[in-house]
Amino acid sequence: MRGSFPRVSTQSIVTLLILLVCGGLVLYPMVFLAEEALNVGDPQEFPLQEWGLGNFAALGEDWHILANTGLVACLATVMAVIFGFVVAWILTRARVPGGSRLERLMELPYYMTPLVGALAWAILASPRTGALNQLWHAIGGNGDLFDIYSPFGIAWVMALFEGTVAFVMISAAMKSMDPSLEETSRVLGAGKFRTVMKVTLPLVMPGVLGATIFVFAEMLGSFAAAYVLGIPGRYYVITTAIWQATTSYPPDYGRAAAMGISLFAVMLVTLTIYRLIVRRGNYTTITGKAFRPRAMDVGRATWVLLAVCWAYILVAVVLPMLALLLTSFQRFATVIVGQMQFTLVNYENAVRFAAVRSALVNSLVLGFGVATFGVLFMTVLVWIIYRSRAPGHGLIEYVAMFPQAVPRLVFGLALLWAWLNIPIPIYGTLWLLALAYFTVLMPLGVRTLAGVMLQIDKSLEECARVCGASWGYQLRTVTMPLLRPGIVAAWLLLFIASVRELGVSIFLVGPNAQVIAPSIASAWLSSSTELSTALAIIQTSAVFVALAILFRATRRFSGELR
Amino acid sequence: MSEARIEVSNLVVRYGGVIAVDGVSFTVGRGEHVTLLGPSGCGKTTTLRAIAGLEEPSAGAIRIDGRAVYSSAERRNVPSEKRGVSMVFQSYAVWPHMTVFDNVAYGLRVRKLPRTEVAEQVERALGLVQMREFASRPASNLSGGQQQRVALARAVAFSPTVVLFDEPLSNLDAKLRAEMRVELHELQRRLGITSVYVTHDQEEALAISDRVIVMNNGGIEQVGSPETIYNRPKSRFVADFVGSANLIGGRMKSSPNGPGPVLFETAGGVLLQARAAHAPHGDEDRVAIRTAYIDLALAPPNNAPNAAAGNVRQRLFHGDFIQYIVDWPAGQLIVRRPPTELFEEGAAVTISFAAEHCVLLET
Repeated sequence: MRGSFPRVSTQSIVTLLILLVCGGLVLYPMVFLAEEALNVGDPQEFPLQEWGLGNFAALGEDWHILANTGLVACLATVMAVIFGFVVAWILTRARVPGGSRLERLMELPYYMTPLVGALAWAILASPRTGALNQLWHAIGGNGDLFDIYSPFGIAWVMALFEGTVAFVMISAAMKSMDPSLEETSRVLGAGKFRTVMKVTLPLVMPGVLGATIFVFAEMLGSFAAAYVLGIPGRYYVITTAIWQATTSYPPDYGRAAAMGISLFAVMLVTLTIYRLIVRRGNYTTITGKAFRPRAMDVGRATWVLLAVCWAYILVAVVLPMLALLLTSFQRFATVIVGQMQFTLVNYENAVRFAAVRSALVNSLVLGFGVATFGVLFMTVLVWIIYRSRAPGHGLIEYVAMFPQAVPRLVFGLALLWAWLNIPIPIYGTLWLLALAYFTVLMPLGVRTLAGVMLQIDKSLEECARVCGASWGYQLRTVTMPLLRPGIVAAWLLLFIASVRELGVSIFLVGPNAQVIAPSIASAWLSSSTELSTALAIIQTSAVFVALAILFRATRRFSGELR
Repeated sequence: MSEARIEVSNLVVRYGGVIAVDGVSFTVGRGEHVTLLGPSGCGKTTTLRAIAGLEEPSAGAIRIDGRAVYSSAERRNVPSEKRGVSMVFQSYAVWPHMTVFDNVAYGLRVRKLPRTEVAEQVERALGLVQMREFASRPASNLSGGQQQRVALARAVAFSPTVVLFDEPLSNLDAKLRAEMRVELHELQRRLGITSVYVTHDQEEALAISDRVIVMNNGGIEQVGSPETIYNRPKSRFVADFVGSANLIGGRMKSSPNGPGPVLFETAGGVLLQARAAHAPHGDEDRVAIRTAYIDLALAPPNNAPNAAAGNVRQRLFHGDFIQYIVDWPAGQLIVRRPPTELFEEGAAVTISFAAEHCVLLET
């Protein structure tokens, strides 16, 4: 026993191992990417022979891409924050029938993914042939009502399908406000309007500002909508330009890497600003407790507000799903009723074509595998971050959350480059995809589990130790069972995120390792509209089934905890 | 083997740059019930958790039954589960995913006792806290008081020799707390365990302990029996924190060598006879008088020591006592009298107290 601190050493070994594994998975690709960005010699040369800032200097020539990116990201952010703010205010502060159900529905667009959303809106609002434009013609309108293949169209899809995060963050800010702050204002004699202006708005402002900056960072790194809607019209933003640079002949990896590193740097700065604002602005609103604020009685305006919410659901869920369903059952995609020929052939093809079938199967296998292994690994990881005192436990959090700060597509590029250049032959196999998913989904799993871990009173675990249990026994008999709601939720979220993954997958798929999202995109771009919609419906169904289980499970668990 | 069950010496606990416990030493004898009393942040809980092995100290040593469970000199830190102590947590820490039985059985099952013995011991422990009929209940639907009892039963089920209590009653309402205090007191003595108890509630500390250790700012202010702590506070902090006392500033008039009262002149020029628990050094500037030890009378003052004329400024009825604020030449005095002794506001009264209740404070 002498000279040893036994408890510390068991955990330190595990901590060190986790740190090495995660650190390797996360940082190693980024080092490769940085190196490639500085490579001005032969792009295939490794380790690099000539280095310089030439690739970065060349970015100046691409100023129009940067301008496009800024424009689209700003438009999308503004729209997403407006949607988010209005809907969050209605659902948290006004009394509307079915509010809590609507709140869940608001999350659906996010799970549909911008890729599927972009397909659907391409069907709805293509110039001339889109359903909405056809309708416009039918009622005697001139020209097109709406062109989805425009910067505004791209931003629209991004805002609808990626803007959910704005809604979630703003409503969290509104919910975490102590209602007594508003009540005090009312009691002191201020009216409803004055209270909103003088108390409510100033208190939620930091939350709104934080959400705006966070969403902006997300939009900068957004890929799918710009990919589906921008490429046909050669309208490039930075992510699609990166993709273009790596797939054109000859591939310009240096340029792609330089753009990737720059985008990463901008995103890092933006997220740092976000953190500063959230930390500083967190004065009275965040008390750690979630309040159910007293909803305001809005009288006749109730129906207007309700209509606003349902309009959002209509454009972000109902219309897109209808468009996809309708198209997927047609022999030739059209929105003209007289020309429709209904068939099941697209679904049959999805199962019959070997490449497509294997993409479906692979996605499911990856989903199950990554979710199962990921949850086990991340549970230990989260425990160490929040409970251990072994040296290095704080560092793990930074390493595990790091992928969040890297745009998905940039990380995909980094992984591609890193794994091409080391002599472990997993490039082009499902193993690499699994490893990549695990890496980029680590922040999601860790955040989900941490949310539950932080709710578990530390003394529940300490008590087990004092009662004589070892670390392992305590994890097995106390921590894991108490963490069950978090484990179930994390598993399902990891499954969903794996099944819908695009940004990383698109770089790492190979002839023998297809997955569903890139298949949807490539089917679409090779003009197999009908097949791509059938695939989109299949993917969305899988996600929605998992989501339904998740909602049921969380409701049951929250019932258990009361 | 030493007589002490627990021996804490020069314990230091640091959190980053903050020193939570700063060189604390004390011992707890076999079967003794010692309470660490102090305001929040004084280091009492940290000290307790260090004994339990839940906090890693930076320096010092902790011995249980003569065996070092922590020693910075020997670089030894025995993990919690190998220290053989038991603990009752402030939040009860009753596992919501188990039944009452499973909760209580945990410590026995960890020790791999045969099934029949586990059942027997759980039965016995639940009997001690009158919870036998709840054994098969899920622990998640128990009231606060019931959870408290389960936590107690669990802590004593595996017959530990040392039980640590971390503010176990602080989450109960006042009435239940008073009841549990009585039960706890009885249980401690019946089982013959050694206990270290942490609380910020001075009433609780005085009621259940053999010895009280008053802590402040990570250090020990005073150690003594409940009566000593109450009647002979050494410092301004103890006088103020334990019970309620009037602190009166002034200076020493004489410093007699040997026993007997010392003479103290208050700021308002009143001469008081005071007692000192220590050998006075002459520069003490404060005496403490418990609010309960001051008599009020309508008769005019005679020439007895420590008697002065005063005037009732305010009367507050508290139920169990009446609190008076009385103006007197040295300022204001707070006086608590039983509700049978009624004086009107504005009444001229005579204030008096015994010299032994006028305590010269060391610091």
